[in-house]
Amino acid sequence: MSDSHDWYDDTSGSHIRCSGDLPGTHKSKMSKRPPPDPVAVLRGHRASVMDVCFHPSHNLLFSGSSDGELRIWDSVQHRTISSAWVHSAAHGIISVSTSPSIGNNKVISQGKDGTVRCWDIEHGELSRTPSVSIDANTYHFCKLSLVKRASGDTKNSDKLTPHHVKEATEASSQEIYHGVQEEAENSKIHKNDDCQEGRPYVAMAGAECSEVEIWDLNAAERIARLPHSSGASKNDFTRGKGMCMAVQAFLPSEAQGFLHVLAGYEDGTMGWWDLRNPGVPLTSVRFHSEPVLSFSMDGMFNGGVSGGADDKIVIFTLDLSLGSCILKKEISLERPGIAGTSIRADGKIFGTAGWDHRIRIYNYKKGTPLAILKYHRATCNSVSFAADCKQMASASEDTTVALWELYPPRPFA
Amino acid sequence: MVDGERTEKTIGAELNTNSNIKVLEKVGEAILSINQAKNVDQVISALYSLAVRLFPLDSRAFAGSIDKQYRDEVIGVEVPSEHERDNWWQVFYRSTAFPTLARVLLSDVALNWLTCFPTSAKRHLYDVFFLKGCVSEVVQTLVPYLQHHSNGKLETAVCSNTERLLALCLLENDGVLQLAREFSHQPENISLEQHKSAICKVSQLVISVPDKARQGASTLLSSHIYIKRITIQLIQGAEEWNNNYTDKSTNFNTILFIGDAFARICRRGSTDVLLSEMIPRIVTQVQSLVTPGCDLTISESFKSKSSLQFWSKIMEAVKDSYAVERISEQLLQKLATQNINDVEGYWILWLLFHEIFELQSSIRSMFTERFLLWKVFPVCCLRWILQFSVLQCPPDNEFKVKSDDHCNLLNTTKRLLAVWSKREFVQSAPIEQQAYITAAIGLSLEKLNKEDLDATKDAMHLILQGVSCRLESPSSLVRQMASSIALVFSKVIDPSNPLYLDDTCKEETINWEFTSANTDKAGLPISDGKEVNTTQDNSFKDAKVKNKDKELMELTLLDPDEVIDPATLNNEATSDVDDYNDDDNEDDDETSSESSLQPYDLSDDDTDLKNNFSQLVDVVGALRKSDDADGVERALDVAEKLIRAAPDELPFIASDLVRTLVQVRCSDSTLEGEEESAEEKRQKALVALIVNCPLGSLDPIHKLLYSPNVDTSQRILILDVMTDAALELARAKTARQKHPTRAQIWTTAETQPWFMPSSIGPAGSSIWKEISATESPLSLTYSYERDLPSKPGQIKKGKSRRWSAKSMNEVQDNRVEWSQNKFPPFAAAFMLPAMQGFDKKSHGVDFLGRDFIVLGKLIHMLGICMKCSAMHPEASALALPLLDMLSTREISHHAEAYVRKSVLFAASCVLLALNPTYVASALVEGSSELSRGLEWVRTWALSVAESDTDKECYTMAMACLQLHSEMALQTSRALESSDSVIQCGLLLLPLYIEVA
Repeated sequence: MSDSHDWYDDTSGSHIRCSGDLPGTHKSKMSKRPPPDPVAVLRGHRASVMDVCFHPSHNLLFSGSSDGELRIWDSVQHRTISSAWVHSAAHGIISVSTSPSIGNNKVISQGKDGTVRCWDIEHGELSRTPSVSIDANTYHFCKLSLVKRASGDTKNSDKLTPHHVKEATEASSQEIYHGVQEEAENSKIHKNDDCQEGRPYVAMAGAECSEVEIWDLNAAERIARLPHSSGASKNDFTRGKGMCMAVQAFLPSEAQGFLHVLAGYEDGTMGWWDLRNPGVPLTSVRFHSEPVLSFSMDGMFNGGVSGGADDKIVIFTLDLSLGSCILKKEISLERPGIAGTSIRADGKIFGTAGWDHRIRIYNYKKGTPLAILKYHRATCNSVSFAADCKQMASASEDTTVALWELYPPRPFA
Repeated sequence: MVDGERTEKTIGAELNTNSNIKVLEKVGEAILSINQAKNVDQVISALYSLAVRLFPLDSRAFAGSIDKQYRDEVIGVEVPSEHERDNWWQVFYRSTAFPTLARVLLSDVALNWLTCFPTSAKRHLYDVFFLKGCVSEVVQTLVPYLQHHSNGKLETAVCSNTERLLALCLLENDGVLQLAREFSHQPENISLEQHKSAICKVSQLVISVPDKARQGASTLLSSHIYIKRITIQLIQGAEEWNNNYTDKSTNFNTILFIGDAFARICRRGSTDVLLSEMIPRIVTQVQSLVTPGCDLTISESFKSKSSLQFWSKIMEAVKDSYAVERISEQLLQKLATQNINDVEGYWILWLLFHEIFELQSSIRSMFTERFLLWKVFPVCCLRWILQFSVLQCPPDNEFKVKSDDHCNLLNTTKRLLAVWSKREFVQSAPIEQQAYITAAIGLSLEKLNKEDLDATKDAMHLILQGVSCRLESPSSLVRQMASSIALVFSKVIDPSNPLYLDDTCKEETINWEFTSANTDKAGLPISDGKEVNTTQDNSFKDAKVKNKDKELMELTLLDPDEVIDPATLNNEATSDVDDYNDDDNEDDDETSSESSLQPYDLSDDDTDLKNNFSQLVDVVGALRKSDDADGVERALDVAEKLIRAAPDELPFIASDLVRTLVQVRCSDSTLEGEEESAEEKRQKALVALIVNCPLGSLDPIHKLLYSPNVDTSQRILILDVMTDAALELARAKTARQKHPTRAQIWTTAETQPWFMPSSIGPAGSSIWKEISATESPLSLTYSYERDLPSKPGQIKKGKSRRWSAKSMNEVQDNRVEWSQNKFPPFAAAFMLPAMQGFDKKSHGVDFLGRDFIVLGKLIHMLGICMKCSAMHPEASALALPLLDMLSTREISHHAEAYVRKSVLFAASCVLLALNPTYVASALVEGSSELSRGLEWVRTWALSVAESDTDKECYTMAMACLQLHSEMALQTSRALESSDSVIQCGLLLLPLYIEVA
């Protein structure tokens, strides 16, 4: 490491920013350095902020609140750029999401009114009308998931056997009558294999709350339901599992273009679906005793983190070749309830948004706690890292979004 | 021959008469020639011719300074034999010859010739008659000449000469020592009684010298130096006597003289000088014996040491009991200032007093009665006194229970307890006296055991009675006395199970000094406007200071600039890496960066998570559930905030809230890290309630005050809270608006919206005016006001602003009216109901008797209310009923000083609160009630200042009088400025009296 980079090496001391607009300062020095305060607090929402996400490349931050307002913030100047009521105030927004897979000028909002809307961003302003609006007719608490792609680094890919690649989606009960469509859908996906960029998919809990549905965003049509039992096998996988509470779609590089979906259910079960086999999940495990509320996968899809309504955070590993999901570490909490998890793009740390008003930071590799961030005065709904790993945003019911800068990544890493 | 070695000679009567005549003849001759002398040399030669027969003189010493004619004459005088001279000397001083000659020498010669005398002649011829004479005779002759009058006026020359001679004789020449020696020989021709009276006479004369000397006399004769030197000689004389006379019983005259002199010194008020000489000697002597290393035990060595016995003999010889008391008292006081331990102290007392203590009952009663019950000594003295007079054994001895001594101790303890346990004693005795007797009891109890106490039935009863009546006292010092005694008592009963009534006395040994470190200041604020914090406040403050100290300590422990050894960090890092490599060594790249993930402080507490009450109804509900302590605490946490927010439902719920807040039980302890205890929170909530909703909450709180269902502490709480609320209301700056604002209350945070005007500006900056509509970037009209907190204690980072979308005109219409004091409109509601029932005695309510503290607090609260409404018309209206209440006999002459103090305070507040112009106009209009009330304040304060036993009462009464005269002065000025001076001259009379 060159001298000029020493500043970034965090071993030598704390990296606490103090500026005049901080809401509070820490009272006393303790034996360890105190946890940092947010570098900025974004105020403007008038209701609980449900979700927050960074734009993959621009300095933009999207936040959606439970009164249906979607705000776009400049994450450097900490100012509102634009605000719009994108869903009805009565229903509000469940989640906002963006991804390179849907293009850099788009943002998706999911409302509790059962619609998913895709908005164009022009010069920081939202389009007046959504470019796509899916009336999915789904009413639940599950945040949708765009397809997460493996990060560019593929050097370990040889370890994974490619033939297991599928799309793992899981859906609720039986669905025998959908079986007829299976073949067709599978083939469709196969065809789209080469042109994924053009065909963004969205995974979300379906109209039948225990199902997961995959929608094609551009066409605004549903392309799969999980579970989707074929006529032969009477699938009762989802029986007793309850609603689907969390979903994460991802596309491992070895998967030959087949979507995989990780779904969490109300009873704490997680199912790993390969879209090629919508009848039964690749594997299903039950790490949580209460509803699974959020997932986050690391960039290589070797594992992830899940949080639920119970008092633990689970770090698990996924092995595509074996199709196994193994518990790696269980972190127990004093107070239950993790509403959101997010692993930073570099896979070093992950954050959780707790019902206990706290954002917790852990070392992803080791699962050791790193910080307990106390700023929010109400339940935290979501936490999200910027793609460049420099910033983290947390959204809370106290109507604020807090921006944090922690453990800055090494610039050359 | 003036020396003590001179042996007594038997002079035959015949010879005596014979030489007597010869001497008288010779003296006559000398006097005649002095009278006829024409020049000084004739006088000198006449004197010499006499002196040479009496004293061994060397004429050459002064011969050179006289004329040759006379010199020959002088040298020619026949010198008698030594035996003859001795004989003459005896006759000269034992007969009338010396007084006769002295009269001539002291008046005539001193006046006419002495100034002409050559110095040598003066010394060898003139002074020799006084310096080498018989001192007792010389003294008797000289002292009257100190005040020699002729023709009705003082002869300065004679007096100064006499003073000179006395100083020479008694001080330079060790005359007093010689006197002591002289008196050891009792002349045969006089009886013992005569001798004794002579001794008394001489000692009286000797000691009276400083008082008889003129104003401008030599400093040698000034009382301090004179007595000091005399004392040294007296003690020396006593030591000599002690060495010379082994048979002490027969020859007592010297000691008689010394004792008499001591007594007279004391009578003349120079005990301190006397003791300043005595004490160092005694102390060194005692210390030399007490120091370890002797073969004998201390007590044996004292008793065998004959060389120290003269001390007790001297004390025995001091017949004047007053003198003995003065000596012993001052001795103790002085010893207390020196570094004397208990053993030494005991032996000093023993050395001086053991004989008279055994012999004289008056001395015994002095020690066991006066010194224990009436006087106040430092505690170390108290130990010596108890040891010496009650236990009667040296303190180093194991206390061996001799039945009579033990009985003695028990009796003394009982006697002390009888005094101590009386309520009247607690009420009226000065605090020092109380502390002293408490210490005496404590020290005595420490020596007793359970069986002894059991044997005396009433002792236990008295102890309990005394403790219980002290525990109610408003003075913490008195309470501390009670708890100390209780502790000692409990240790006597069961040593393994001590009873701590108080947190302060946790130490092994009790501090019987009750030193000023923990005395409480005034139970009540002093009237001159400065409020003295109550003890409670002090203790809180102390606690806070302690906490702060703690914090400071912690802070210093953590050096922010701590030098961190990079090596250790590297070690940590590498160990980290090792760990990491153990479980995941596939990625070398990342291991190095893992070290950057140092955890922050992971401590977490859940204080912010407890769900808080947001409605006052919920608070009331939670407070009622006394079994849910946690809920009560949380309710108290938020109560004040909610009340301060003054929601609409506050007036409706106020009375319920008052009742629940007063009756809720909560702890007074502060959790670690918490700023206030639940008790404080409750008080603050109540204050907030009264401030925000006075009319709704005062009525129930007054009902509670006189309700039988609350206890004393709750009544005190009520009064404290009312006091605080009155003060807060008086301080509050209120904004009265003509129209209720329709403005939105908008609390903005630190990040300011861009359209807001800059908030930068000094604290307390002016109210924000509106920005005109045209300048605003938006087409809306905004108007801004800024409301900065006026209370210094209430510093918050955020700013609250009123943000309204009104036109400028409206804002102007809406102009805020500021008023400084919100209290006066509520003064009557605060005071009148509280004053109604103070003298009613019903079940559980007895303000005038048992609950006198509540009464004191009540009166204090009323005083504060008066002060808060000072100079307002309400004060004038309320002053009369308050003065009426104060002047009732039960209150103004209450047995407890605490109540009297609060009455003084309230009266002072009334004086402060009345507007002079109002007093003036009331007088003009002939309102006799007011002038009567004010006159009562004056006379009553005067009587307190004159006769009250309590020191604080006295000082407060003085302050009150001062305020009264101040007010009278102001009133008279107000009257003068009006035209009606003449009309009311009569009415003002009482006021003018003490202006003048």
